[in-house]
This record gives sequence, structure tokens and C-alpha cells, in this order.
Amino acid sequence: MSTFPSSHLRLTAVDTETVVRIELLGDLDYDNADLLLDAATAKLAARPRLRELHLGCAGLGSIDSTGLSVLLMIRRRTDAANVLLRLEDRPPALDRLLTITGSLDHLTALPTGAARETSGPGESRADTEEAIPARPTGPDSSA
Amino acid sequence: MVTSTNPATGVDVQGGSLWSRAPYPVLIADLQGAIILVNEAAGALLPRARPGTPMTDAVPDWLSSAHAALRLPRQGAAAEPAVWSGRVGDRVFEAHPTVEDSGTVLWWLVDTTDHRLAEEALRRERERTAFLGRASNLLLSSLNLDRCTNVTAQMAAEHLADAALVIAPMRGNRLPIVTCLGDGNPVASSAIADPASVPGLVEALQGFPPVPTRWVDPRTVPDWVVPEGFGAPGSIVVTPLPGHGVPAGALILLRRADGPGFTPEEEVFARLFAARAGAAMSAARLYADQSAITDVLMRELLPPSLHQVSGVDFAGGYRPSEDHERIGGDFYDVHPAGTEGAPSLVVLGDVCGKGLEAAVLTGKIRNTLHALLPLADDHQRMLALLNMALLNSHHTRFATLVLASAVREGGSVRMRVTSAGHPPPLVVRATGEVEEADTRGTLIGAIPEVRADSADLFLAPGETCVLYTDGFTEARGGPMGDAMFGEERLRRVLAECAGMPAEGIVERIQMVAAQWVGTGRHDDMAVVVVSAPRSHHLSAVNGHTRGRFTA
Repeated sequence: MSTFPSSHLRLTAVDTETVVRIELLGDLDYDNADLLLDAATAKLAARPRLRELHLGCAGLGSIDSTGLSVLLMIRRRTDAANVLLRLEDRPPALDRLLTITGSLDHLTALPTGAARETSGPGESRADTEEAIPARPTGPDSSA
Repeated sequence: MVTSTNPATGVDVQGGSLWSRAPYPVLIADLQGAIILVNEAAGALLPRARPGTPMTDAVPDWLSSAHAALRLPRQGAAAEPAVWSGRVGDRVFEAHPTVEDSGTVLWWLVDTTDHRLAEEALRRERERTAFLGRASNLLLSSLNLDRCTNVTAQMAAEHLADAALVIAPMRGNRLPIVTCLGDGNPVASSAIADPASVPGLVEALQGFPPVPTRWVDPRTVPDWVVPEGFGAPGSIVVTPLPGHGVPAGALILLRRADGPGFTPEEEVFARLFAARAGAAMSAARLYADQSAITDVLMRELLPPSLHQVSGVDFAGGYRPSEDHERIGGDFYDVHPAGTEGAPSLVVLGDVCGKGLEAAVLTGKIRNTLHALLPLADDHQRMLALLNMALLNSHHTRFATLVLASAVREGGSVRMRVTSAGHPPPLVVRATGEVEEADTRGTLIGAIPEVRADSADLFLAPGETCVLYTDGFTEARGGPMGDAMFGEERLRRVLAECAGMPAEGIVERIQMVAAQWVGTGRHDDMAVVVVSAPRSHHLSAVNGHTRGRFTA
């Protein structure tokens, strides 16, 4: 939860009909975590048929409490929209923060409304893998 | 058309028929000062000017004396051609002479009234722009409300009127007033007065909707409006000081009865000035309000000073971030046991974010936990209830915290610590070993379901449990300036603190961390140390009673 001059957060989004992947590059902190929240919220609003939101964390620098708060808010919104949230390629610092704060399970669990469709979450994930075959599988994919 | 032939000068006056229709007034006069020719335009301008009439009788003094001055030196044609100017009726003319050798002078009159007016308007406009610029500089250079008010009153009194009053919005039944007379100094006072007694003042003080300047009949204003020693006011205007959506007050301008009143132009200008002054004053007022709130919150949030409670040593230290958003998110409290033999509860936490929002959440948490103290022996229940109280659909601002119950048992201290998403406390054994308490839990305030596992600890005399926020471990500094202090370094420092009293450990950690960050920026750092004192039994009995131990 540092207050040091942060490198800018850059977001790159790759969209398909049912999957949006946002690649994070930079720090997710007090100064710019809102960028990610706005971007994710906009994607959720713009794509009613969205099934999965992937946040690519390989390029994530430092993350502070505000950054974590934004992840929690995104999780809340993906739950509300019945969208599966995946935090992929998590660097050790992020895992450590999520572990200490006890939020890892919550952030990587299936949506609370997972029984949204008769087909169930398993099938929807299979769809996704077809949609983005080259996608690296995050450590949370078993969640 | 008035013409004549003057045999003495031989001026071909008949040729003057050309002059006669010239669009500019032309006047010819001879050496003796008698008018020879007046064209139509000049005749219309100077009805008494007729051929044969002396200049002195027919034209304004400034022109006849110019004619005399031109004739007198008789320096010949080499004389520098001059231009005179003066008023004719309500207009201003320039008179350009053409002198003949004979001494006859042909005067060309040019109406420069509009030119003069334009010049004058330009000069006034420049003055006003400069004044407004100066006003802005003076007003905006300070966020001090009193200073802004004084500057407003003083500038208004110097440039806009003979006296000025700045009326601030009502406080109770008192109207705060700053009065300034001419070149004097502003004087603050307050009057128990009804703003309704001055027409337009109530509306101006409301700030919204914007109201125009009001001209007030000086005979109707109450005495408090007229400054002492001012005399009889001739004209008064009331102008609102528009703020940023909040009423900043009103400006009352007074001019003396013997001077000129306000022109509509001046009134517009006063409004421009008032707009600037109002903006500056309301910014200053908002800032003052904000810093007052911050101060109140800060006072409320300052951590308590700790000491020994029921045979357990507590020491705490808090080093706030030096960031401009002064209130940080770290806090701690020690709640002494309600009854003898019951544990005291320590809470140390870190609220997400910074500034006012973090401060509000901190206050909420501390109050809620205080209310939940009767449940202090059940950390899980306390945390679940706190979580419910903080859960909010609008945001996911959360807190991480550690609860620690500590009670003296014999010479030792029995503790139960529970982390809710917070770095687990570190235990410093008498041997210098540093252990991490085995507790994990969920952060509070953002997730509906929280769980937490507690750890039970036993501190022998001289042993210590350290609760800290990540302001320490994530402090950046060191030899290269950007290394994290880290948990390992914290453990090493603590290992060296084995056996030290609680106060000493807090001081030591703070000192090392301060050296680490140097002059760099850092987050809040809070630490609470719970120690089993190396005590001497004063009486050999159970030792649960307060005051039976000395550290």
C-alpha cells in the first residue's frame, strides 16, 4: 500500500463476443486503480452477452489497498452480471496480497450466481477456450 | 451663408464659397481679432460669430486667447504651428490655425469629442482591467478567509466607493461585517441586525439565485450600514458576492452625498469585482471548512497513549504519512477489560485508501468495535458483525485488522490474536526468536462472507507480541532509496529487541524505519506492542489484581 510515484497503468483490451481480456501493465494503486474499474465496468455494460472477464496480471507492478478494493468491486460487478472473473498470470506479489487479505478465494471463485444457466459454468469455460485458444491458463483456472 | 470682402487683407472671400460648404467649421479672423469669415458649419457651432464681430465676443475664451497668442509674437511664418483645444458647448474641439503673412488667421475646428471619449474609455478600461488583475492576484494568493474579506473591503473602498462593507452570511443572529473607509484599514465587527432592514441584502446573502445589484435609497438604510464618521451617504449599492454555490456574502458600497453617485457602468464594474472577490472568499471558506473538518477528525483519530493495563504492558506508535492528504488509514485502540481478570482488547488496523474517506471508515470501525466490546471474547463474531456493519453496496473500501485479547496469568500473558486480512502479529521470544502468529482471515467490509482463524499465544515475562501495519514492511528506502523494508528486516530488528520493554521496542522499530525511509515519502506506520513485563511480584498471590506488579 505504497504511496510512491507510480508508473502509469496501461490497459489493453482484447474483446470477443463472450470474452474480454484486459491486460494490465503498470501499478494498480490509489492514483490509477480507477482506470481499471472504469474500463471493466464499461466492458460489462457494453457487452450483455459477455461470459468471462480476464484480467491479465503478468505486467502488474505494485498493487495497494485501493487496487485490491477495485478488484473486489470488479468481482462484485461480474457477479451481478453473471460473468466469470479470472485473474490470470498473477505475479507472486499479487498472490501474497490476496493471501494475506484472505481475498484470494473470493476473487478466484466461480460467480456466486454460477448456476445461472442450465449448462453450468463448466460448459461456458469450454466455450471460452475455443474462443481464445492461445490464452495462457492462469493458476486460478481450477477455481 | 455669410460672406464679405475685406479690402484690407485682400482675402478673396468670394472664393470662400468653397469654404462655406466645407463639412468642418472654418473661421477667419484678422490681425485685430475681428472675424472676417464664418462658414456654415462654424456658424452653426458659434451662432454669435459673424463677420466684423470681435473674436472675444463670438468664440469661447480658449479660442480667442489662442488667436491673440498667435498674433502677438509675430515671429513670422517660421513659427511652430500649434494646436489648441477646448470645449465648445458640450463638445471638445481642436483648433488648427493657418497663418497668413498679413496676420490673418484661418482657424480649422475639428470635433474631437468622440475621440476623447474613446481615449478616456480606453484609459478607464485599462485601469479597471489592471485593478481586476491586481484584485485577483491579491485575493487568490491567500486561502485565508479573513484576509480575503479584508482585501475585498479595502480594494472596494479604495477604487469603487468612499466606503465599503463586506457582509458575511449570518452566524446565529449576528451579521459579521468588515468595514473599510476610503484609504483606511479594514475593521471587522459584527452587528445584531436584521439583513431584511437593507433592501436587497437578504437576496444577496442567499447567494442563489443570482440577484442584480440593488440601488438603495440612502435615507432608508439602518444606522449600522453607515460607518462611523462617514457623514451622510449619497448613494448606496448592494452587490452579491457570488460563491461556488455557497453564499459568500454581500458587498455594500457607499458614496458620500457631496460626491458623484454610481454610474451604471461603475455598477457593472463593481459586479465584476464582486464576482472575483466572491469566488476567492468562497474558496477560502470551503478550504477553512475542510481544514476544520480535517482537524476535528484528526483529533478524533489520533491514537491513544498506551500504558500498562492490568499487568500487561501496551505501547503504541503511529507515524502518519507526510502526504498532503493528511489523514491516513492506520489506527489502533486498546480497550481495557471491563472486569478484573478479563482480557483487554487491542485493535490495530489499516483502512483502504487515504484522506477523508479513509478517515470516515476508520471512525466507523472504531465506533462499531467499541459497541461490540461485550463480545470481545469471540473474535470471529465481532469480525462478522463488524463486516456486516461496514458492507456497503456503493463501494468495496475495506479494512484489514488484527484483534488481540491479552490477559495476565501469573507472570505471563495469555493472548488470542486474530487477523482479518492483516499481516499476522510477530512474537518476540525471550531467546530472540521471532515467530509469526498462526492466524489468517478475510479482510473486512467488502465481502459478504468473512472467516478468520485465531491463534492462542503465551508470552513469558519479557516476551512480546508486535502488531504492525504494512506501512513498515512496505516502506521504501535504504541505501538505494527504493528497496522495501520488508518483513525479514522487521524480524531482524525485532530479534535484537528481545527482552526490551514495550516502549523501547516501539521506539526502536520507529527509529529504524525512519532511518530506512530517510526523507522519502512513506505510508502511515502504526505499531502496537503487547508485552508480559519482567515483573517483580509485590505480593505472592494470584497477581490478577491491578497494581500488584511493577515493570
